[in-house]
Amino acid sequence: MDMIGSAPVAQERAVRFTGSWREYLPIAATNVLLIIVTLGVYRFWAAARQRRYLWSRTEVIGDRLEWSGTGKEMFIGFLIVTAFLLPFFLFFQFLFPAMVARGKEGAAAGILLLFEVVLLYLGGVARFRALRYRLSRTWWRGIRGGSDEPGWNYGGEYIGRVALASITMWIAWPWMATALFRSRWNQMSFGSLPFRSTVTADGLGRRWAAVYLVPIAALILAIVLAAVTGFGAAAAGTKASPTLAAILVGLFVGVYLIIPLMTLHWYAKYYRKAAETMSLGDLDFGFDATTGDWLKLFLGNLVLAVVTLGLGLSYWGYRNWAFMVRHMHLFGEIDVTALAQSTTHAPGEAEGFADAFDIGAI
Amino acid sequence: MPSTLARSRPQKLARAILYNGVNAERYPVEVGLAGEDMIRVTPEGDAPVDVPLDELAIADEDKVQLIVSRRFVPGWRLILDQPVDPDLRARLPHPPRYGGWIDRFGLVKATAALSVIAGAVLVIGHVAPRWIAPFVPPSWERNIGDAIVGDFGELRCRSPQGDAALNALVERLDPGATRPGPRQIRIAALHVDIFNAAAIPGAHIIVFKGAIDETPNPDAMAGILAHEIAHVRRRHVTEALVRELGIGALIRTFAGGIGANAEQVVGLSFTRANEAQADADAIATLRRAGIDPRPTAALFDRLSNKEGGDTRPALQFLESHPGSESRAGNFARSFDPEASYRPALDPAGMKALISACDTPKRAPGKH
Repeated sequence: MDMIGSAPVAQERAVRFTGSWREYLPIAATNVLLIIVTLGVYRFWAAARQRRYLWSRTEVIGDRLEWSGTGKEMFIGFLIVTAFLLPFFLFFQFLFPAMVARGKEGAAAGILLLFEVVLLYLGGVARFRALRYRLSRTWWRGIRGGSDEPGWNYGGEYIGRVALASITMWIAWPWMATALFRSRWNQMSFGSLPFRSTVTADGLGRRWAAVYLVPIAALILAIVLAAVTGFGAAAAGTKASPTLAAILVGLFVGVYLIIPLMTLHWYAKYYRKAAETMSLGDLDFGFDATTGDWLKLFLGNLVLAVVTLGLGLSYWGYRNWAFMVRHMHLFGEIDVTALAQSTTHAPGEAEGFADAFDIGAI
Repeated sequence: MPSTLARSRPQKLARAILYNGVNAERYPVEVGLAGEDMIRVTPEGDAPVDVPLDELAIADEDKVQLIVSRRFVPGWRLILDQPVDPDLRARLPHPPRYGGWIDRFGLVKATAALSVIAGAVLVIGHVAPRWIAPFVPPSWERNIGDAIVGDFGELRCRSPQGDAALNALVERLDPGATRPGPRQIRIAALHVDIFNAAAIPGAHIIVFKGAIDETPNPDAMAGILAHEIAHVRRRHVTEALVRELGIGALIRTFAGGIGANAEQVVGLSFTRANEAQADADAIATLRRAGIDPRPTAALFDRLSNKEGGDTRPALQFLESHPGSESRAGNFARSFDPEASYRPALDPAGMKALISACDTPKRAPGKH
C-alpha cells in the first residue's frame, strides 16, 4: 500500500496551478494568429494546445496532469457531428419555409417541435460525451479517466428533467441541475475508481428563489420610489410620466443586472455544493469560490477583452481554468497502488458538439 | 582502437520517475542509453529493462521536465528532470508544436501560405455567387423555387380579378413575361400584413397584402414590380440563393419562430450593388412602358419620412432596400415632362388590385 494524500502536506495545496500568463503568451498569440489565417479551422488545434498547457500546469498531489487529446481528433469529431446535424439544417433551411409557404403552419410547427426535442436530446448526450472525452484524455501518474456509458440514457434523462423543470417555469431548476450533475458524474471514473456524487438541491432553494423574488422586489421598490418622487414632480408641474419611466428603468436593471447577478449567486453555491458532495475513492473534493470571486473573474475577463481590443479573449480559457484550479481542494488520501488503469473504452474521436465548441463540461 | 573507446564511454545515468500505466505507483528509476537504439530503465532494487528508442516519443517538454511516452503502452511515462542528456534528447522525436502540417513548413511560412489561401477563399466566397448565377439553368432554379414555395397554399390571395390585374401590370412592364415558357414570371399576392414585395427563386414575384394596402397608386406598384422583375432578369435571385447555400445560412436558420420564418421565405438578401442595379433597371423599364415614375418616387419619399417616427411598414421595406431618400431622388429625376405617360392600370384593374386580398383566407392563420 502506498498512500499519498494532502494530509501530510497540510500547508501546501493538494491542487495547484503553476502556470503564468507570460509563459502562456506564445501559445495564446500563435493560436489567435493561426485561427485567423485558417478562418477558424485551427480552433480545434488551438484548443488542444491550450489544454495541453493548462493541464501540464495543474499539479494534483505533487504530480502534473497531462492532456493527450489532439486537434485532429477534435476536428474529426466536429465533422461527424456536423454530418449528423445536416438533415436538421436542411429541414430548417428548406423544408420548414416550404411548408410555411404552403400555409401548412401547423404541420411545420409539429415537425419543428419534434426536431427541437431531438436536438435537446442530442444536446444532453453531447454534454455527457464531452465530459467523458475530457476525462479519457486526462492523465495523472499514467492513469486516465473515462466512462463505460455511451450517454444515450443520460440524453433521455436530460430531456425528461429539462421538460419537467420547464413546466415549473424553471422554479425546479436546482432539482434538475443537481440530479443531472449527480447522474453524469456517477457514471464517470478515474482509473479503477468511480466518481461518487451525492449532490441534492437541499440548501440551494433559497438562492434560487432569490433569482425570482429579488428582481420583483427591486421593481416594486423602483415603482414606489418613482411614485413618491413623481408626486413631487407633479406638484412642480412637470408633464413627464415618472412612474412609467421608473418601470422601464426597473425592468432594464432587473433583466440586465439583477437576474444575472442572482443567478451567479446561485451558481456560486451550486458549484461549492457539487464539489463538496463529490468523491473519488477516499479523496473528497472542495471548492471555495464565492459569488464575489466569480464576479471578479467575469469582470476581469470583460475588462481584459475591452482594454486589449479583443485580444484578451484568448486568455479567457486560461483565466477560467486557473480560477477553477485555484479554488479547488482535495482532501483525504489515495492508494496509488490500488489505483489501476482505466478499463473504459477510450473514444477515438472527440465527442459531441459541446466539446467541439468548448462549452464547459463540468 | 576508437570503437572500443566509444563502447567503454562511461554511461551517463539520469535519475527519473517511471509510471508504468498499469497503476498509479511512482517508480524511481535510473535511465541511460543502452547501445545505439535502446534505453535502459533500471528501477531501484529491480532488474533493468531495455526499451527500444523508436517506441518512445516526447509527450511534453519544458524547462523543468521532459516527459517521455511509449507507444503500445498507454500511460507509460518516464519523467526526466532537465537538463536531459543531449545525446538521449537528440534521439527522441520532437513533439508536435503547432500541429503536423504547420510544423512541417514552419510557423512563418505556414502563416503566409494560409493567409493567401484564406484571402482567396474570402474573395471567392464573396464574388463566386455572381459568377455562378448565370450558369445555373433556369429549370433548376424553377424546381428549387417551386419546392420552396409551391402555390403558397392558404397564404395566397385567391382573387381572379386581383391576379389578372397583377399579371396585367407585369405584362405592361415586361411584355410576354406572363406567358408560359422559360422566361415566365409568376406573380402572386399573399395574405401577409407586411409592407414588402419580393423576387424569390423560380422567377416568382410576391406582393404582400400590406404593400397593396399602403400603395393605392398602381403606378407606384408598377415601380415596385419593375424593381423585382429586374432582380429576376438579372439573376440576382439565383445569386442570392447560391450565396445563401454558403456558410451564412447556418447562423440564420436556428433563430426565429414561425413568424420570423414566414419572412424567411423572402429572406434572401441582395447586395447593395444588386439593389442599385435593380433600381436603375426599374427606371428604364418604367420609361419604356410609359409609366410615370413620380408615384414611385413619392412612395420612397413617404418611406424615408417615416424612418424616424412610425416605423411599422417602412422598416420592413428599408431593411433590404437601403437609402430610400436617394432612391426617391433617382426615380423623381427620371420624370420627363415631354413624355406622355399612361396610367399603369385602368380604373377597373386598379379596383381589382386594391381588393385582391380582401377575400378572407381559407383557414385562419397566424398573421
